[in-house]
Amino acid sequence: MSSEEILHPHLRAFATTVLLAFVLWVVYLVRYHRLSLRDSLLWLLSTITALAITVFPSTLEVFTSAIGIVAPVNALFALTFLYVLLNLLATTIAVSANATRVRRLAQECALLRAEIEELRHRLPRQPGDAP
Amino acid sequence: MNEPALRVATHNDRRAAAMLDDVRLATPRALVIIPALNEARSLPGVLAAVREVVPEYDVCVVDDGSTDRTAEVAARLGATVLRNPINLGIGGAVQTGYLWARERGYDAAIQIDGDGQHDPRFIRAAVAPILDGRANVIVGSRFGGNGYRSTPLRRAGITYLSWFLKVRCGSSVSDPTSGFRAADRRAIAVFAQMYPSDYPEPEAIALAQRHGLKVAEIPVEMRERSHGSSSITWWRTFYYLVKVSLALLILPVPRTTADEDGSP
Repeated sequence: MSSEEILHPHLRAFATTVLLAFVLWVVYLVRYHRLSLRDSLLWLLSTITALAITVFPSTLEVFTSAIGIVAPVNALFALTFLYVLLNLLATTIAVSANATRVRRLAQECALLRAEIEELRHRLPRQPGDAP
Repeated sequence: MNEPALRVATHNDRRAAAMLDDVRLATPRALVIIPALNEARSLPGVLAAVREVVPEYDVCVVDDGSTDRTAEVAARLGATVLRNPINLGIGGAVQTGYLWARERGYDAAIQIDGDGQHDPRFIRAAVAPILDGRANVIVGSRFGGNGYRSTPLRRAGITYLSWFLKVRCGSSVSDPTSGFRAADRRAIAVFAQMYPSDYPEPEAIALAQRHGLKVAEIPVEMRERSHGSSSITWWRTFYYLVKVSLALLILPVPRTTADEDGSP
């Protein structure tokens, strides 16, 4: 099957534009410090892969025959799902890690506050102290 | 001229001080951890009861983001107050207490609820096996004591969880949902390092077991709550069971002490 048969040229052009815009957007976010490079890596990598597949749809056929999908378009759907799932999982992992860090920081605040209260009680009362 | 005599005196003083230190070190230090969320009304009763039963123990109240005067009441009654700046849930609150216990080097930590349903009279019974080295973690179970009234569903759930814990990690605790706990130094270190977040009680037992700690139980009596309502309503019991079952099924691997994160 030729590239034309797998993806209509118009669709290819459209998808390429969208994905390219997406890559540029991610790069822009990193450049202006709104997305860390570390978090952008998976997005860039997976989007560039999607871009490569769109530009060279024949790569789909390798994948299609490898796992036994009849229509290459279905392989495209499968890959799209995979793309979203992968990035979503990566995001959830980051959220979980942050929750753990926030919890630990909050606990540290609680400990430090208790420590301060204790020290304050040992000091002679200063003028201007809260009663 | 007086100097030699003085020196001897100083030396003796030092020895006396060292002996005093030995005595102080030999006396085990224990911390009562009371997690509390909006328990300003129950706390005075709980704190008074604790003070009466174990006057030599230190008490810390973990205020998990209360909107009432919980922290103020606890501080006025002489407890150390650990105020979580944000609500972390019962797991995070309890862990704050264990972190304090670890930092201050306590030999034992006892965890009782701030709502007054745990009777402090059982604290000594819970700490005894800890200080004897017979167990690392003690759970206060309500089925050993007087007949604890509970809904049949909840009782069935507890029986199931107890069975599941036994199958999954070989612990024999008849009331794994009980929040009445005692922990020794090793258990304090484990819980300070990692503690499950929501509905943490059964998971914490599994965690202790996984770290090679010995978990045992003592019978306790529990009272009706003096104020407020239980955080587990009947329709939440099902969600509770599913969540805890899943947690026990997946069971995070024990972490090496090099890691410094909070929860699994």
